[in-house]
Amino acid sequence: MRIAVCRPQVPFAHGGAEIFTDTLVAELRARGHEAEIVSVPFKWYPGARVLTQAFTWRLLDLTESDGKPIDLVVATKFPSYAVRHPEKRVWLVHQFRQAYELDRTDLGQFGESPEDRAIRRQVQELDRVALGEARRLFATSGNVAGRLERSTGLVAEVLPHPAQALDYHDEGHGDFILSVNRLDRAKRVDLLIEAAALEPSLQVVVVGEGPDGDRLRGLVADRGVDDRVRFAGRVDADELARLYATCFASFYAPVDEDFGLGPYESFLSGKPVVTATDAGGPLDVVHDGSTGRVVAPEAAEVASAAVWLRDHPAEAVAFGRAGKAIAVEVTWDRAIGRLLA
Amino acid sequence: MKVALFSPMPPERSGIADYSALLLPALRARCEIVTVKRGARRPPRGTDLSVYHIGNDPVAHGWIVDALRRTAGLVVLHDFVLHHLVSGITLGRGNGKAYLDALERDAGLPARLLGYAVMEKRIPPLWENRPEDFPLAGEVLGLATGLIVHSRYVHDRARAYGFTGPIWIVPHPAFPVPELPAAEVGGEPLFASFGNVNASKRIPQLLEAFARVRPERDAARLLLVGATSPGFDLDRRLQRLGLDDAGLVREGYVHENRLWQLMMAADVHVNLRSPTMGETSGTAIRALSLGKPLIVSDVGWFSELPADVALRVPVDEHEVETLVAALELLTTRPDVRTAMGAAARELALREHDLGQVAELYVAAFEQAAGGGAVGDAVLREVSEAAADVGIAPGSAAASEIAERLGEVGLGG
Repeated sequence: MRIAVCRPQVPFAHGGAEIFTDTLVAELRARGHEAEIVSVPFKWYPGARVLTQAFTWRLLDLTESDGKPIDLVVATKFPSYAVRHPEKRVWLVHQFRQAYELDRTDLGQFGESPEDRAIRRQVQELDRVALGEARRLFATSGNVAGRLERSTGLVAEVLPHPAQALDYHDEGHGDFILSVNRLDRAKRVDLLIEAAALEPSLQVVVVGEGPDGDRLRGLVADRGVDDRVRFAGRVDADELARLYATCFASFYAPVDEDFGLGPYESFLSGKPVVTATDAGGPLDVVHDGSTGRVVAPEAAEVASAAVWLRDHPAEAVAFGRAGKAIAVEVTWDRAIGRLLA
Repeated sequence: MKVALFSPMPPERSGIADYSALLLPALRARCEIVTVKRGARRPPRGTDLSVYHIGNDPVAHGWIVDALRRTAGLVVLHDFVLHHLVSGITLGRGNGKAYLDALERDAGLPARLLGYAVMEKRIPPLWENRPEDFPLAGEVLGLATGLIVHSRYVHDRARAYGFTGPIWIVPHPAFPVPELPAAEVGGEPLFASFGNVNASKRIPQLLEAFARVRPERDAARLLLVGATSPGFDLDRRLQRLGLDDAGLVREGYVHENRLWQLMMAADVHVNLRSPTMGETSGTAIRALSLGKPLIVSDVGWFSELPADVALRVPVDEHEVETLVAALELLTTRPDVRTAMGAAARELALREHDLGQVAELYVAAFEQAAGGGAVGDAVLREVSEAAADVGIAPGSAAASEIAERLGEVGLGG
């Protein structure tokens, strides 16, 4: 099949959605399909520009290319799903969250003027039309599917995307808890640092970089936990696999995350996950007392859960195994099979 | 965003006053709402959107039409047929010419002539016997910048009337069910009809159908709750049909709590209507909240009730026979009653949840207040971009752009 994978492009930015779509294209090609990324730059401000930029997708004709039909399009993220195609599949990474659950929060975009309120509603209307016309609608997590149903009434099938390819292995129950995430406030790595400050025996390794890095390093210094919280920065694939293999658990507790690959990577290494009750997507697979610990988003709770897993190796190993049993089911073969069915 | 709400409010006795009072706290949780004092002609300063609740009662809504005439805005159209309202605020204020103008606007010169005949008392008032033929909604629709309606039926009638502005269909919210014991009425099953007892509630047809069912089903009872309309001789009808106290239970106008208790006691709610003014029935919504099966007339909003919730009775020459069949079915099949009741409760939760209804209202407010400016901004940017590359207005390319804009609700 000839398949166009549609994603918006924020020039000079590259993140999880780009990695996901690049990987999807590679996996489709590996299965004999002719797949290609179709990308349109996206700028969502000021004012009604979010709508005009979204509308650009509506004018594209992806029914054929150079005289040959495009059999199917897979759209991923607002506003790429505004594209028209008789075989439109949507694998929803997220909607334009500023128009939904982020509205009237610090992360929101729309003010209280009638124009701003109307733009927000128009984004929702566009979603209802564009997502409603998809032949099949998938969401990367129960969290994304739930938001979609609450906001538009549309029901999506949950289709998680597989973790990145790494040399996942398990070298046993280690002595540190691992955080692998972008250093961004919404990822709440500070919860783990504060937990280390509360629990003097807790060892932490933090992988990743990001805009919150300086603040987090300052926090470590302020709390006097430099000797137990190590920032590993960006690491290569081998080092990442080794860190997963040698920790006793991982920490992954963003605020209302869309999906979250972290738990899958941890599980594939046989390691349980500590997350928070409001983490969103991770809660699809991290279950308290089964594949990890789910606690209130408070440092004391995180500290207690981490220490418990460290001090109960048999349970931690069993939780990691249970998580692995879930994660190994999430394969590209299965995902692509459902996507194209 | 500040919204000025023109609506009757309690203690005024009006279904729409109760409706607004129920909805107001949920709206205020989502939006700044100012309720306008009865009689005010203009919205307060700084108002972004004026919202007018229009029903068919001239006493409750006359002043609201007066305000709408001064400041256009979003109209919540509770009834499509506004003949009573319009006659009240024209003839009732001694302005016969305005009434004649409204009739002519609706149905041309013949209607104006009928109006003359009414004013000269040569024919009975049209608002009593033919209001549905002359809805007189033209002026209100002409002043409205947008409409909120409660049914597809009213949406379609407004469109057929030529209204071209935006219309939002927002379901009637469910009333919170008070914690009260059901009244002890008896009857196996107990059928009940709530509201004024008169011909337009199809009480004659209901009584006749029940009288036919009753001899074979002597445990069944029919409860009629509500004031008897002037000129409707209920007692004589009951006597003629042989319906005595054992079969028929009668309560006049009752207060709120007693109404709920009687509604709880009923096994089946019968809510018949013809002609319809396009209204949504508050009592039918209460029945859904209580999880009661319904028998309704197959007209207007009632036709939109799902078949698993309501048995719909066409208003035709077989109306009584169909009613007999419906009463028989729900008498002999308690399992059907139970299933319909469960579906009714589920529908109330799904479609009529107060918070969800308030959310739909505020979405309509926000689109009505700012949607025009946003649509203009989008069109301006798109058309400028098109013009920059030589796409002329009216060209095939411009038409396609307009079509695509329309598909996603961006005008064009």
